[in-house]
Amino acid sequence: MHKLGRKKIDRSASGPVATTVVVMRLYIANNAPNSIRAIANLEAICKQHLKDNFKLEIIDVLEYPLRALADGILVTPSLAKVSPLPSAKIVGNLSDRSSVLHALGILEPVV
Amino acid sequence: MKSNLRVLEGNPHRPDAGPGLSAHILRLVKSAPERRAIASGQIDAVIDPATGKAFLLPDAQQAQREDGARVRSLLALASDWSWEQDESHRFVSHTGAASGSSGVFDESIIGKTLRDPPFDTMSEADWRAHQRLLEWRAAFRDLELGCTDRAGGMRSVSISGEPVFDAQDRFKGYRGTMRDITLRKQSEALAQKPLRLACDTLDALAVQLCVLDSAGNVILANKPAGAFAAGSRGIGAVVPVGDNYLAACDKARGSERKDGVAIAAGVRQVIAGDSPLFRHEYVCNSPAGRCQYSLTVTAYPGDGAARVVVSRENVTERKRAERIPGNVTGHKVAEGGPIANSLLAALPAKDYQGLLAGFELVTLTYGEVLFEPGEPIRHVYFPNDSLVSLLTTIEGHEALEVGLVGREGMIGISLVLGMDVSSVRALVQGAGTAMRMNAARFRRQFRKSLPLQGELYRYAHAMLVQARQTAACNRFHEVQGRLARWLLMTHDRARSDQFLLTQKFLADMLGVRRAGVTKAAGSLQQRKLISYSRGKIRMLDRQGLEAASCGCYEAVKSHQ
Repeated sequence: MHKLGRKKIDRSASGPVATTVVVMRLYIANNAPNSIRAIANLEAICKQHLKDNFKLEIIDVLEYPLRALADGILVTPSLAKVSPLPSAKIVGNLSDRSSVLHALGILEPVV
Repeated sequence: MKSNLRVLEGNPHRPDAGPGLSAHILRLVKSAPERRAIASGQIDAVIDPATGKAFLLPDAQQAQREDGARVRSLLALASDWSWEQDESHRFVSHTGAASGSSGVFDESIIGKTLRDPPFDTMSEADWRAHQRLLEWRAAFRDLELGCTDRAGGMRSVSISGEPVFDAQDRFKGYRGTMRDITLRKQSEALAQKPLRLACDTLDALAVQLCVLDSAGNVILANKPAGAFAAGSRGIGAVVPVGDNYLAACDKARGSERKDGVAIAAGVRQVIAGDSPLFRHEYVCNSPAGRCQYSLTVTAYPGDGAARVVVSRENVTERKRAERIPGNVTGHKVAEGGPIANSLLAALPAKDYQGLLAGFELVTLTYGEVLFEPGEPIRHVYFPNDSLVSLLTTIEGHEALEVGLVGREGMIGISLVLGMDVSSVRALVQGAGTAMRMNAARFRRQFRKSLPLQGELYRYAHAMLVQARQTAACNRFHEVQGRLARWLLMTHDRARSDQFLLTQKFLADMLGVRRAGVTKAAGSLQQRKLISYSRGKIRMLDRQGLEAASCGCYEAVKSHQ
């Protein structure tokens, strides 16, 4: 199980950022190709849109299948937003950036 | 890697994706987004709520297999064998491209542990340490072992392993890799050889050596230095490896303080590159007693950590030898060979042999004073080829020569006449060797040997005549005649046609002013009897010189 650190909120960071901490769980299957891609995609999104305002837990379902079942996860990779409510779930390798942002409640910034 | 393999092994849904798999997945996954994701190939694994286990989809399985193959091929590149052991650490399998060729490993190791042949028995301590690791189920790395190959040759292997657990976290044994490191070990041993030779050579030196870095820390010291450091204190101690040499010098107290400061300053200079070399000689108290040392600090070549080499040699013996007046050998005189001194040569063999054991051969150097007036006579000297002037000193005047002793005589004649204090100054004016004897021993020998007494009384008389004649000669004769007499006497005793004599010295000998000597020597030179330049006098015409001398020369000679 991996945990990306929850760091101090950096107020000086520029760009549209969420003001509340987003808590997420990413379910993966070890180092299977889509799982690795999902981690990379999510990291890029978090870096750009959430800065330090997020907490991410990565769960390997090959090791902890029961945790996935408890959260209603049947396939990996899957991303679950735990808080803020409403909770949301998105399946796949997270390459569709806009649907991820929608699910997380962050709108695509206007370029 | 570990969890990955473990799950695969424990997974009831084996990778062989049969036609039933798609139907199975469709039964498990009912929601549209998930089915879409599966269809677009974005899903790796599906969790079966019935078994509570996740299984990989075919694409992910394929990737995992490729991953495994990649790891295995890397493993094969990095190691010679891979192996597996059961719970009791017995080999249950081994694979490896090199296993056939190098012949270390074959089927015979199956069922054996690392404690059994063909592995070279580890030391008890090593084995215990390794077993502790195994009991802790810890991974071990690069355990180096010897083993015997099929041909009976010794090889070295390096073994790494990690524990294996099943899905229920039960210990299943170890698995790992093994490399043949025989060549590396051999080349290491070869590379060590010249180094060891160099180290042994340094240790065998009598000189104490240590190498300092830029801060003055000792980074290397040879054995003599190490042995000395262990047994002494203060500035006398060579500093052990790891300590600071400068600090040790600064710590010196008492009589050693001055030397400590000087040495520290010298070392700092050489470290700073201000000077390529520093030498210092000093005395210190070592376990062996009071010792004299010569210390040399030289710059270490190159840009490495080593900056200077400090070498220190015990020069006590050499210095002691130098302090003894003109001692060359300090040895007792060997028997046999011609006897140079005519007094000794005149003795019967038995008497001479009696004296011989007490003699010491010494070298007398020019300008050396053997006695001063009023000083006790500690030794008597029988010159071989050296020349000694006996001078009388009168307050307010230069010393005046009253006798000249060479191979025909002896210095310390007062002892013969019962006086053990010298009345004259004995000054060496012709360097050479002499036989020396302790005064007390000489007195014993003198009492025992009648022939010696006879010889020495006769010589004492000759000296008396010489002194009387010289006194009269100095009063009445011309400088030129006296100079000629003196040169003839010197010539008789020195057995050489050339002597080193300054005008000042001649003036003192003859009791005249320098100008007088210059004039007299100039006159003799004009008559081609002698040549004289820069203190070197060469006798050219002995008969002419005899004619030029005053009659005192003949008068004295007739009594010898």
